[in-house]
Amino acid sequence: MKRQKVLFLKENYVLRILKNFMVAGLFAIALLLILVHKIDLGLISGVSKGVFYITAPLIRVAALPADAISFGYKKAAEIVNIYQENEKLRQENQELFLLKDKIRAVRAENKILKKLLHHIDLPQEKSYTARVIAENGSAFTNSLIIYLGEAAPEIKSGYAVVNEQGLVGRIDMVSGAYARVTLITDINSKIPVVSQKSRDRGILTGHNTRELSLIFTPLLAELHKGDLLVTSGIGGGLPADIPVARITRAGVENITAAPLFSASSLEIVKIIVYDILPDNATTGELE
Amino acid sequence: MTALKNFLTNLSVFIIPLLSILVMVLIFYIPRYSEFWNLLRSVPFYTGIYFWISQRPDAFNSVSAFVLGTFADITAGTPLGVGIITFLVLYFCSLHLSAYFNVKKFAYSWLLFILLAGITLLFKGLLVCAFYRSLIPLKPLVFEFLLVSALYPLLARFYIWTERRFIHLEERYEKI
Repeated sequence: MKRQKVLFLKENYVLRILKNFMVAGLFAIALLLILVHKIDLGLISGVSKGVFYITAPLIRVAALPADAISFGYKKAAEIVNIYQENEKLRQENQELFLLKDKIRAVRAENKILKKLLHHIDLPQEKSYTARVIAENGSAFTNSLIIYLGEAAPEIKSGYAVVNEQGLVGRIDMVSGAYARVTLITDINSKIPVVSQKSRDRGILTGHNTRELSLIFTPLLAELHKGDLLVTSGIGGGLPADIPVARITRAGVENITAAPLFSASSLEIVKIIVYDILPDNATTGELE
Repeated sequence: MTALKNFLTNLSVFIIPLLSILVMVLIFYIPRYSEFWNLLRSVPFYTGIYFWISQRPDAFNSVSAFVLGTFADITAGTPLGVGIITFLVLYFCSLHLSAYFNVKKFAYSWLLFILLAGITLLFKGLLVCAFYRSLIPLKPLVFEFLLVSALYPLLARFYIWTERRFIHLEERYEKI
């Protein structure tokens, strides 16, 4: 008690008032930040980028030892299974060899048909590989932090992030050599998709769980359990035909789907650089 | 010169709790490639904030909670401000409720933490629901609450060690 009194007497009046209103002031700032975030002003993204620029390298440093152990374990496991793996790859290689000629023929035919129809191709997309350094999967958010390295200047918000199975998420923010990815399972994620089989369109939304919902589907959509949903390319934000999810329940009232990837097994991802949206000047002219 | 020295000493008292929480957060951020581990990412924040306020309120203030909230929001990708408000609520409740509990006894301290963790996580859940105008899943939220509550004794050990090893408040009072 005596010590507190000493402290109390040392403080001047202004400081005491400031201290009393500090919590209320900070609450007000936090509320303001939420409001500004909701309105989506550029100010928040600037602040976020600044803090992310400092925190992401720290997380990467913390993740380095785990990466080294994981790498060592995987290499050891690969050596143990090397003969079985080799046999499996040989068989796959034979199958692919037979498939290669068929694909060549189809591609040639496709080229001729496109020429006849005067089809306009979309620009070829570039891609970059990035390493996952951290993952956040909670009731509140589903995101990844990835290390871009020298490719960082080429990467922008909104680009698709995929793995060998399909779409994982979209770039949310790039700062320094790092980027944050919003997974398709995040509550904030809305992906325009189309059924690969019936070509019925919809919007795939996340709920921070492994279950995704397909909304805004046509009334008479022919969607069934097991159907693959791929990106529709509508809106121009994502390239078309990237596998996204598989339908798990196709009810009358709600259609649910499961993502193709497992968030915990993501180590390396590919970022697709896809810029077909017109710039502001062109948009103005078009309007 | 003495004033500067005093200022730095005061600052270090506030920085050590902050650093201890951030160190634990970074350790929990080491990828384990398991979905279970993801739910543990936020545990050091809740346990750390509660521990420092209830045990050493003179070493942790609302600005520290604000800084941690900003860090949590930006690394996790939640809307900026949600984590800050959540941690400020935890700070405010801990500060006022710990006076009514005998928090020097570990069992009571743990019980109070369970209560406060429940309130805080529920508050954060409601805030996120309101922000996105969509319901968030209850199952992971409950699971996160159980994990946060169960891991408190383990993390508190580390914070107790930090407090004993690095904070010499006796010296600070003498200087003042």
